[in-house]
Amino acid sequence: MEISNLSQEHKGLLDAFRDAIVAIDEDKAREIAENIISETIDPSTAIKYSIADAAIKVGERFDSGEYFLPHLVMAGDLMEAVGAILEKHIPAEKIERKKVIVIGTVQGDMHSVGKNLVATMFKAGGFEVHDMGVDVTSIAFIDKAKEVKADMIALSSLLTTTMPYQKEVIEDLAAMGIRDRFKVMIGGGPVTEVYAHDIGADGYGRDAIEALDEVKKLLI
Amino acid sequence: MITLLDIAERTQTGEKVEEKKWDMEFFRTISELINKHGIELPEEHGFINMDDELVERAFEAAIELLEKVGVYCITTRRCVRLSRDEILAGIREAPTEILMGEGSDKRVWKQRKVEEKGKLNICPGHHSPFTEDLAGLIVSNFAQIPRTDFIEGFNFPKIEGREIMGAPMEVYASRRQLGWMREGVSKASRPGLAVVYYPINTRAEDLIGVIDPDYGLRRTDGILLTLLPDLKMEQDMLSAAIVYEEYGCFKLSGSFAIVGGFCGGIEGAIIEGIAKPIACMIAYRDYIHYTGVEHIHMLNGRQMLVPGINWARSVVNQALNRFTHTICMRWVIPTSGPGTELNLLEVAMQSIEAPINGMNLYAPRHCRTTINHGQTPLEAEWMIEVSDAVIDQGFDRPGASELLAKLAKRLENEKPASGYDITECYDLIHHKPMPDYEKAYLSVKSQLTEMGLKL
Repeated sequence: MEISNLSQEHKGLLDAFRDAIVAIDEDKAREIAENIISETIDPSTAIKYSIADAAIKVGERFDSGEYFLPHLVMAGDLMEAVGAILEKHIPAEKIERKKVIVIGTVQGDMHSVGKNLVATMFKAGGFEVHDMGVDVTSIAFIDKAKEVKADMIALSSLLTTTMPYQKEVIEDLAAMGIRDRFKVMIGGGPVTEVYAHDIGADGYGRDAIEALDEVKKLLI
Repeated sequence: MITLLDIAERTQTGEKVEEKKWDMEFFRTISELINKHGIELPEEHGFINMDDELVERAFEAAIELLEKVGVYCITTRRCVRLSRDEILAGIREAPTEILMGEGSDKRVWKQRKVEEKGKLNICPGHHSPFTEDLAGLIVSNFAQIPRTDFIEGFNFPKIEGREIMGAPMEVYASRRQLGWMREGVSKASRPGLAVVYYPINTRAEDLIGVIDPDYGLRRTDGILLTLLPDLKMEQDMLSAAIVYEEYGCFKLSGSFAIVGGFCGGIEGAIIEGIAKPIACMIAYRDYIHYTGVEHIHMLNGRQMLVPGINWARSVVNQALNRFTHTICMRWVIPTSGPGTELNLLEVAMQSIEAPINGMNLYAPRHCRTTINHGQTPLEAEWMIEVSDAVIDQGFDRPGASELLAKLAKRLENEKPASGYDITECYDLIHHKPMPDYEKAYLSVKSQLTEMGLKL
């Protein structure tokens, strides 16, 4: 995001804000968020510049092996918390609605590691994420997606024998006449891009990093 | 040892905790234990651990982890707490060997010690999906490998042409899996060979529905009942464990830790990697485990090598073999698919470290196996050949570490190869690799010989 109209001091503050989030320094990030408000820097700029950039850097640290799943969880929670501080100072009509993703592991499947990683990457990437956990039925996914006005349903499966439940969600959406209301993305150990195409999914992520790239392509 | 009824009761009465809170507490506790016990990847770590004191500290850290957090039941969202005495009794009372199979196919699967010189126990395969048209043939091919001690089942997307969905179809498919296993081992003239049920799904009805002394699981067979990552258990698995404890099948478990998950980095994975098989043993009565440490980027096939992973795996298995009765196996999971030189090189790497660290060998397959694209009997025969050579040549920890360094050098700039379907690279009728795969095998064999392993 372009911030050349800001003074060096304000630009420095936004950089420090980003760095505090990346370092998961909660006290410092909250303090700088308050400073941003008191310095009358546009809070939307702080969200779009500092928080968005922090999300990318946190993802890079995970990719390089410096950060692990708990760091992603903590960074995601921190982004949400400081984002809320800033949003309080943005007029309601100007708050940009976050894209909403409902995610879970499909019916009959108890595996959560990959799904947790993807959910956390999505959250750290600036999306509103509703994680439904494991062993989630098609109807539960769809009801939740309708309830939270989701933009995407993301379905994980780690077993060859639970992959059909990914297809079931797509078929149920079609049968209800609401397939076009939600993008559907799938992933998991045995899932392939070919399978995603075959069952009519909109997207596929081989791993958490690719999944975030894919969701950005599909939703932004 | 604490009874399974005690465990079942605690899954209903233990403290209720949200899963996210458990996950973060798990990470916080492991982080504290890393500092308290000085668990650290040394700068010069090599591929095999030589520091016996570190192994002792890592073991104590794992016991403390179990004592502090226990096991989390995802079904009831409750903590199953364990006292130190209960944990130590569990370790003490576990067996060091398991009898399996019948008649001339009866085998003893044993705990190995670090640098032990006896030949390894072998499970050559499955834990991979195949289509039903290949099922019987695939099983008989793996059963034909003379060193096979047991074979694990496989899953499949369709049964009799129908997509498997829902408990009734899963139960039906589970029983067919066992039917194909029995038929396959009989075709290979090994009717008494132990087979292990690979769950089509983890519902209790699927797990229990395969009991059948004539056409399904015999009392001398086994079942895979695995604890989930981050020390999480399920009531359906526990139900099955209770049934099988009385019926008589042996149980095995995937008990490795994943670097990058809630255990954190390599050091945290070492602590979880030691704690998890002990927890599995207490919670489900699993006595055979594929153990160690994996990296999330290796499991999803992004990276072939991650520095420190082999060393960490070595620490975990040395601890388990020195201080517990855990019967460890190396699950050989290359990032390259079958039919490639890279796959065989990766299999070799894991088969070299196994006997040195006190592990048996289990089900080599591609890390992201897809239908008919996970394994062939050649990788299994190759892992036996390599591990036998390591033992025959008398490799010790420093020697094996040096050999692994040479192999890692060969792989350092390689990207995982996707490989081929089983029928493209292996002749299942004549039990031999296709000519191109045979050529790759001979090439890899000569590369290993040049590195110092006589094959």
